[in-house]
Amino acid sequence: MKPRIISDHELRSMSREPPVTATQEALQRRWRLWTPVYILLALIAVIGIVGAVLGVTLLWIVSQNRTPHYADIVEHFKYASIGAEPTSGFPYRIWRALPKLFPEAFGGRDDYAAFGFLYENDANGRPRDLPIGIAQREYRGVEIVWFNCATCHTGTVTVNEGGKTTRRIVPGMPSNNLDLYRFVRFVLDAGADERLSPDSLITAMNATGKKLGWIEEIIYRWYVIPTLREGLIQRRSRLLPLLAQQPGWGPGRVDTFNPYKLLQANIPIGSLDPKELVGTADFPSIFYQRPREGMHLHWDGNNTSLAERNLSAALGAGVTADTVDHASIERTADWLLDLRPPPSPYRPDPAAVARGRDVYMRACAGCHGSQGADGYAFTGETIGQVETIDKIGTDRFRLDSYTERLRDFQLSEFFKGTKYQFKHFEKTNGYANIPLDGLWLRAPYLHNGSVPTLADLLAPPAQRPKLFLRKSDELDAARGGFVAPACTAGQAGCFNTQDRGNGNGGHAYGTDLPDADKSDLLAYLLTF
Amino acid sequence: MTQDVIFTPLRFRNLEVKNRIFRSSISGRFDNEDGSLTQTRINWECKFAKGGAGAIISSYVPVLMEGRIIAGYATVHRDDFIPLWKRLGDAVHSFGAKFIMQLSHSGRQMDVPGVHNYARPTLSSTSRKESLHGFLCRAMSRQEIDRTIHAFARGAWRAREAGLDGVELHAANGYLFTQFLSAGINDRKDDYGGSLANRARFLLDVIRAIRAEVGSGFHLQVKISAIDYNNVVPWEGKGNTLDDSVQVARWCEAAGADALHVSLGSLFPHPLNPPGDFSFETISATYDAMISSGVSTMRNFLLFRYPALRPLFHWIWFRMKKGRPVEGIGLDEARAIKKAVNIPVLSTGGWQTASKIRAAIEAGGCDGVSIARSLVANPDLPKFWAAGDDLPPRPCTYCNRCLLNAPKNPMGCYEPKRFPDHDTMVEQLMTIYKAHPVLQVPSPADIVP
Repeated sequence: MKPRIISDHELRSMSREPPVTATQEALQRRWRLWTPVYILLALIAVIGIVGAVLGVTLLWIVSQNRTPHYADIVEHFKYASIGAEPTSGFPYRIWRALPKLFPEAFGGRDDYAAFGFLYENDANGRPRDLPIGIAQREYRGVEIVWFNCATCHTGTVTVNEGGKTTRRIVPGMPSNNLDLYRFVRFVLDAGADERLSPDSLITAMNATGKKLGWIEEIIYRWYVIPTLREGLIQRRSRLLPLLAQQPGWGPGRVDTFNPYKLLQANIPIGSLDPKELVGTADFPSIFYQRPREGMHLHWDGNNTSLAERNLSAALGAGVTADTVDHASIERTADWLLDLRPPPSPYRPDPAAVARGRDVYMRACAGCHGSQGADGYAFTGETIGQVETIDKIGTDRFRLDSYTERLRDFQLSEFFKGTKYQFKHFEKTNGYANIPLDGLWLRAPYLHNGSVPTLADLLAPPAQRPKLFLRKSDELDAARGGFVAPACTAGQAGCFNTQDRGNGNGGHAYGTDLPDADKSDLLAYLLTF
Repeated sequence: MTQDVIFTPLRFRNLEVKNRIFRSSISGRFDNEDGSLTQTRINWECKFAKGGAGAIISSYVPVLMEGRIIAGYATVHRDDFIPLWKRLGDAVHSFGAKFIMQLSHSGRQMDVPGVHNYARPTLSSTSRKESLHGFLCRAMSRQEIDRTIHAFARGAWRAREAGLDGVELHAANGYLFTQFLSAGINDRKDDYGGSLANRARFLLDVIRAIRAEVGSGFHLQVKISAIDYNNVVPWEGKGNTLDDSVQVARWCEAAGADALHVSLGSLFPHPLNPPGDFSFETISATYDAMISSGVSTMRNFLLFRYPALRPLFHWIWFRMKKGRPVEGIGLDEARAIKKAVNIPVLSTGGWQTASKIRAAIEAGGCDGVSIARSLVANPDLPKFWAAGDDLPPRPCTYCNRCLLNAPKNPMGCYEPKRFPDHDTMVEQLMTIYKAHPVLQVPSPADIVP
């Protein structure tokens, strides 16, 4: 017998039994009618659950704001976050990749030493991953790195002790190596460089660390990198017109207030007076702050509150009112209250020192306080007071860079409505008489670092070096300061006192002393 | 000493019952699939007749196979069942009790349809599915109504032919008559729906048809729900009020009813009927027998089985019962109806204490009481009362486990507190199977290939 071929329709109908009861029939009918709705509901439920899981995960990631805690206060100062990373920083993976992408800017090295960042070994003797002054924070699931207080306030000094030359890292001294101008220019230019596009950047990130997972890669490609570039391009559009018309700052120097005006206060550069556009000055030392409370702080003495000065400096490092880590800053500030500078290694002739002290007490102590056997005396008629620019006569660019307009903005907008709101900023007409503790680490001198040594400072302005190289941390035992050989204008790293903001005139105190007195005075100053 | 009113005869127009105790309708799946009754049923009914009840009201007896509530219960849809029912009547009579057949039709309230009914939706006044279990149904046509009226009349005739003492129309508790009567269920637009008179038409037509079939000399009583409380499932309408039922009672009397039997609730079971507890563990073990019967049964099963879901059902179920006693739960309604009619009124609902029953009758709240669960627990309850006890030593606890076992297990008392152990309880359940029928070798003609 020929086998019968079963049709598809029959097969389908065979696969489903007919209902036995009227209830089943109704249920089947109901199921058929409602199946699309059930599928839709199931789909919505699945999407909802997946969405909820993703949402919760994302919320968890986005809510992450963690930073390493350092038990040791010096480690805290060097490496702990002050809250600058979220709005100003670089994702760590990108930070690591930049040397590979831009070898010409890094001198071929795979670290940031080319910009003067300082690297040291950790407690186990292994080189640290991040330099001093670069803190790390996990924010919204991304590790971000950026500046803290130590960026601008940790320097080096090479000392010859017992015939052995050692390079010491000194927290609290000015960052005499950091070429912030070059670093900022590099960062801004990188933002506009095609090498920072996701493809090449991700390749470099994978080459300089663990390969990104696919989710991470998506996050970096579509969120982190575009956001970073957008931010850099915006900052570039604001800062570059300023930087382009400033002489390079050189190592150990920064223009504190002009970038502040453009970035934080959103003041258009076109509305600024050309006279205020160069505010470059030396990084100050930040030793022993307790006696300084109430003195006029900053080079121009525009604030008398340590806390406000600290917070203002943190804004310069990149924190915002939303991201600032007050606890971290206050921990550092508490430590700085009593951080004494390391003692001077100079051992000048004690008799000369004694004579020099007499000279100093007559000519200088009223303004600067004095060094004694049991430490620095923060006393003097006008110590910590502002000397008018007419009287002191030093370069006025830094003074002019701080304006009433900026002050008004600072007082009305920063930390508005909080206990941190600024109250003490004022516009002065001169520079502050500053205590000279730790003087041996504070070269070059004057607010703008225009005078390489103490001996030069005691020379009449016209005789002070007009062109000198400013990149050594080697002590000049004869002259007091760091070795600063002469150079020619335009030479790389050559400090030209003819440039705007670099004037080395003024502060002619003691320049007219007899040579013997000057020599004694110098001997005494070397003990500071 | 004056005679105890409980044990004074109750005289109806066509019937005298020796006392005021009526065994209310209750039974189990004792009978054959074709609707013929068995020895077990006879044993069951005689248990109460022997115990002293004045009259036995049978469990619901469908007048048509399509009106069965649970398969396995005896029916009265065939003339050849008359001798069987006669045998039952004789047996009950032999213990000195009367036997009243409760004529019924499930309508949409069909718990276990059985092979006859599972392939078709049940007939009802409405096509809206039953609210608690989701039993499906179809509104009856005029012809189907007529056919059903006739079936009731024939059922009554068969009862009379079997020598039974009367019939009761089960027009309470959510079955077909309630489905017509209740404003919460009946959504018909014809002569059998709408106004109260229209909704009562089916019941009154049946009473008149029975009278036409059996004459006025045969006892006919009507069991009605005095108040529907149809909104057990909260979104359902409330149904008929007491005033509606009082009017229906008057119409029944006028149409030829000899007595009224007053219950509560337009569903069965209902929070108010039978009143008492609700054992989730029991129903979890038995409700599976009903899962295939309705479209909402699986939902209920889940509510019963999973403890986390039980509070929801518990709240829905017990919210109506607050403030009401279990014993004599419907006495106020019976009294209201009794006031409105001139025929005897029976009250049902938790009766078990002699003094309370006595007080109810003496105060004119009712003329007699009908009892099911308390008699299942103590079939000789009347004897305790006659001996002067107010309550038996191990009274019914109203746990309702008898009710919740009905769809799956033999009828009897399942209250574990009343038995020393499970085996003793099962032994009690098995007593009705004890007197076995005489088994016979079938003739060749009896065997259908």
